[in-house]
Amino acid sequence: MKTVKTFEFPAELQPLYRKAKRLEWLTIAYLSVTVVVMYLTMGNSQAMKTAWYEDLLSLTPSVAFLVISRIFLKPANNEFPYGYHKVVSIAYLCSSLALFSVGIFLVIDSGLTLIKADRPTIGTTIIFGHQIWSGYLMIVALIWGTVPSIFLGKAKLPLAQKLHEKNLHTDAEMQKADWMTGVAAIVGILGIGWGFWWADAVAASLIALDVIHDGFKNLKQALFDLIDQIPKTVDNQKPDPIIKHIEEFLRQKSWIKDSAIRIREDGHIYFGEAFVVPAVTTNLTQHLEDTSREIENMHWHLHEFIITLVSQLPTSENK
Amino acid sequence: MRLVHCFILLVFIISACHNFPRDPDKTLEKVKNGTLLVGYSENPPWVIKTNAAPTGLEAELIKEFAQTQQAKVIWVNDTEQDLFEKLEKQELHLVIGGITDKNSWKSKISFTRPYYQIPKEKHVMAVIKGENAFTVALETFLHRQEANLPSRLQTYENR
Repeated sequence: MKTVKTFEFPAELQPLYRKAKRLEWLTIAYLSVTVVVMYLTMGNSQAMKTAWYEDLLSLTPSVAFLVISRIFLKPANNEFPYGYHKVVSIAYLCSSLALFSVGIFLVIDSGLTLIKADRPTIGTTIIFGHQIWSGYLMIVALIWGTVPSIFLGKAKLPLAQKLHEKNLHTDAEMQKADWMTGVAAIVGILGIGWGFWWADAVAASLIALDVIHDGFKNLKQALFDLIDQIPKTVDNQKPDPIIKHIEEFLRQKSWIKDSAIRIREDGHIYFGEAFVVPAVTTNLTQHLEDTSREIENMHWHLHEFIITLVSQLPTSENK
Repeated sequence: MRLVHCFILLVFIISACHNFPRDPDKTLEKVKNGTLLVGYSENPPWVIKTNAAPTGLEAELIKEFAQTQQAKVIWVNDTEQDLFEKLEKQELHLVIGGITDKNSWKSKISFTRPYYQIPKEKHVMAVIKGENAFTVALETFLHRQEANLPSRLQTYENR
């Protein structure tokens, strides 16, 4: 039985991969501090509570990334002949499902606060012997939870694209967009200060809707990945141009009369098959192995490409 | 990024105004130069019932607080339960009676930050939910009295 060979990122991507891991450790450290700071200052504000949940949840993609990074590089074996690449998709599913379900919980929670006209009381806090309105502390906590995370997100985005790493990409996108949550929550707290009790619950609902939006988008993609959708680019979800490129490549081979391919994505890498109607009868095995290797060498994504000889192409409904 | 900086600056400029936070229902404005409606239930040494106005540490503190707001105090005596119900309907501004932060009414009304702590007991006063300017004014007043509260409490305990 042929097992899938061990896989590591190509040499030029190794430093990027290590950098991504460092950034994720930094993210976890930073978010842990944020979660504690937010919890201590949260008080009665619904917007703070919602933003706190969001921050707590935004730990999951980073944790998922670091956990799976210990698994997906394991070599394939008799028990798992395709390797462990799919853990990437599973981690992606878990973090997006968490995001989505907490988003729903938060929308209901904030909606109820609004309907019940539950007015948030924000009193004072003593800091180093000085008494200040707790709302100011919340705003400081929110700024701490917002500004650094924008920079972290921006640093991670290009890495995610180069490494074809969806967990990292979700994480980076969410962090980059985190300023909206911060601003919404700050406006909510200022609203309380101005005497508009509902501003807080409205801000909380907006944040919760944003969490649902993120969650749904990612949950959909995670499910599509697990049912083997064709590979898409990480950044803009367009079909990977390499598919067209391989089709073109096969068409130009003189030993091939007709061909059809299909490709699926397992985490960072692609598995593909081609059904080929040969134009010649000699040296077929040689042609087949050479072409296979040439395709696998096109890009590090292309992990395994199998060519099958057929007398007639399987019919596809799309064509 | 410049947008974020501008925003943060804006936050501090706007909120640096002197009357911040404000009350949704203007409780503090109504109390100032007006009347302060205080519910009390007896609980010595915090609140001690007399034939006239109540005394005890909390009652005396509230008299002083009312003075700082140039307000006249109207005292309402009832059970804690009834007082909290009135407070929830905003028929009172404030309820005292040796209440601690363990009180289970927390969700319908609000408590001030504990102004006096002895082990396992954090003493608070009950206020209308969400009236933040009033809450902050009361907490600020109580914070200023903090230093001489233990000795003052003693004088009521020895009666």
